Amino acid sequence: MNLAKRIYTWVDVRIGAGALVEKELTGYLLPTNINVWYSMGSILLFIFAMQVVTGMLLLIYYVPDADKAFKSVTFIMNEVPFGWLIRMCHAVGSNMMVLILLFHMLSVLFMGSYKSPREMNWLSGFILLNLVMGISLTGYLLPWSQLSFWATTVATNSVGAVPVVGPYLVEFLRGGKLVGPPTLGRFFALHVAVIPITIAALVGAHIFFLQRTGVSTPPFGLQETTNRWLGDRYRYESHPGGIPFFPHYALQDLTSIAVYCALFLGVVFFDPYIFFPATAFVPADPFQTPAHIKPEWYFLPNYQTLKLFPSEFLGIAVQGAAMTFLALLPFIDRGQEKHPLKRPLFLACAIGGIVLYIALMIWGHYS
Amino acid sequence: MDARSRRKFLGLCLGGLLAGAGGAVLYPLIRYLAPRRDGSARRTVTFPAAEVPEGAAKFFEYNGKTAVVIRQKNGALVALSAVCTHLGCVVQWQKEKEEFLCPCHAGRFSAAGQVLGGPPPKPLETIPVTAANGTITVG
Repeated sequence: MNLAKRIYTWVDVRIGAGALVEKELTGYLLPTNINVWYSMGSILLFIFAMQVVTGMLLLIYYVPDADKAFKSVTFIMNEVPFGWLIRMCHAVGSNMMVLILLFHMLSVLFMGSYKSPREMNWLSGFILLNLVMGISLTGYLLPWSQLSFWATTVATNSVGAVPVVGPYLVEFLRGGKLVGPPTLGRFFALHVAVIPITIAALVGAHIFFLQRTGVSTPPFGLQETTNRWLGDRYRYESHPGGIPFFPHYALQDLTSIAVYCALFLGVVFFDPYIFFPATAFVPADPFQTPAHIKPEWYFLPNYQTLKLFPSEFLGIAVQGAAMTFLALLPFIDRGQEKHPLKRPLFLACAIGGIVLYIALMIWGHYS
Repeated sequence: MDARSRRKFLGLCLGGLLAGAGGAVLYPLIRYLAPRRDGSARRTVTFPAAEVPEGAAKFFEYNGKTAVVIRQKNGALVALSAVCTHLGCVVQWQKEKEEFLCPCHAGRFSAAGQVLGGPPPKPLETIPVTAANGTITVG
C-alpha cells in the first residue's frame, strides 16, 4: 500500500472520509440537463478566495493612514517586486466579482431557480450582492486618491437624502462632517474585517441552503417545466440517475474557472487600467474637487437615477423600492412555471430591467 | 499507441501544465514577500568624533543590524555588533564597569566584546573602526 493510500485509510477509519466523499461528491447527483450557468457560483467562490489572498498580501505593505496610504499604494505599484500584479489582481478581481455575481443572479432569474422552496437561497444571495457592492465601495477609498476621496464623498452624501436621520447618518458613516482620516479608519475596518467575515458567513449559509434543498432542475430541454414543490413538508430535491458532481461537474467547474482566469488575466496583463480613470493616480486633495468625477461602472445606474429625479429623496426612494422588489421576488412571483419563454410577463420585465440598467449605465458614463 | 500509454502521456502533460502554473504563481509571490534590500545596508557609517566622548557608547544601524562604538577610558575606539550572541537581544553599555550587559539573560561582555559571564556562547562580532580628522568611520 503506498503512502497516500495509507494516510487516506488512516483518516477514513477515524472520520469516515470515504462515506463523506460518496455522499457529497461522487454520490451527489445533479440534473442531467444541467448547464454551464450552474458553475457561476464556483467561479464566485474562486474569485472570493483570490480577493482574500491578494487582500492579505496587500496588507503587508499598505498603511491605513491618510498621510501615508497613497504613498504606500504607489510603493506597492512601483517598488515592491510584483506588487503591481497583486494590486491589479485585487482591483480587477473586485470588478469581476460584481460582473459574475450579476451573471449568477441573471441565470437564477431566467431559470426560475429562485422560486419555492429556494427563497432563502435567493435572499442570502441578494444580501451577498449588496455586501460585495459594500466591500467594493469601502475598498475604493483605501488608496486615498482623488478618485477615492471624491467618489466616497458623493456616495456617502447620498445617504443624507434619508428623511430625518439622513444628515446624522452621513456624519456617522464618515466619522466626521466631511470625508477625512476618520473615514479611512472606518472604511478600512469594514473592508478588511467586518464585511469579509459577513460575506464568508453568508456564503456558508448560501451553500448550506443549497445542500439542504438540493440543486434546482433547469427548465431547458424538458417537456414538464413547472415547479413541482408541494410545500407540505421538507423534501430534498434529488436527481436519481443524474450526473455525479465529482468528477463530472467538478470538471465543468474547473473549465469555467479556467475560462474566467483567461478573461481576468487578459484584463490584468493587457488593459489593467481599464477600471482606473486619471484621478486614481493623483493623491487626495480635500480642497480640490476634480472635474467629471464618476463612480465605478456598477454604481453608474444608481448615480444616473439620482441625477434624473428632481429630489435626492425621490431618487433614493425609487432605488430602494426597486431593490426591495428584487429582494422579495420569490414571494411576489408565485407562479409554477419555470421556463422563461412560458413566462411572458417575467420575460418582458426582466429584459426591460436589464435594458434600463445598461442604458442608465451608459447614460451615466457619458452624462 | 495503447490507451494506457496515452493516458500516461496526457497525465504527464497535465502535470507539467499544473507545475508551470504553480511556478507562475509561486515565483511572483516569493519575490513579493522576500525581504527588500534597501539603502539601510550601507558598507560604512561615519559620524563626528565628538559624538563619542571618553567612556561613552554610540549605538547605530550597520548593515541592517544594531552596532555600537565605544571610546574606552584609555582613548581607544572599539566597534562591535551590539547583538548578543545568546538570543539576539541588544546589549547595553555600562559606563562605570566598562562592560556590556545583555538585559535579557544577564550575559556579560568586556569592552572588547569577549564573554565575561552568563549564557552567550561566543564574543560579540568586531567591526573595523578608524578615526581621522575628527570623523569616526565604521566598516
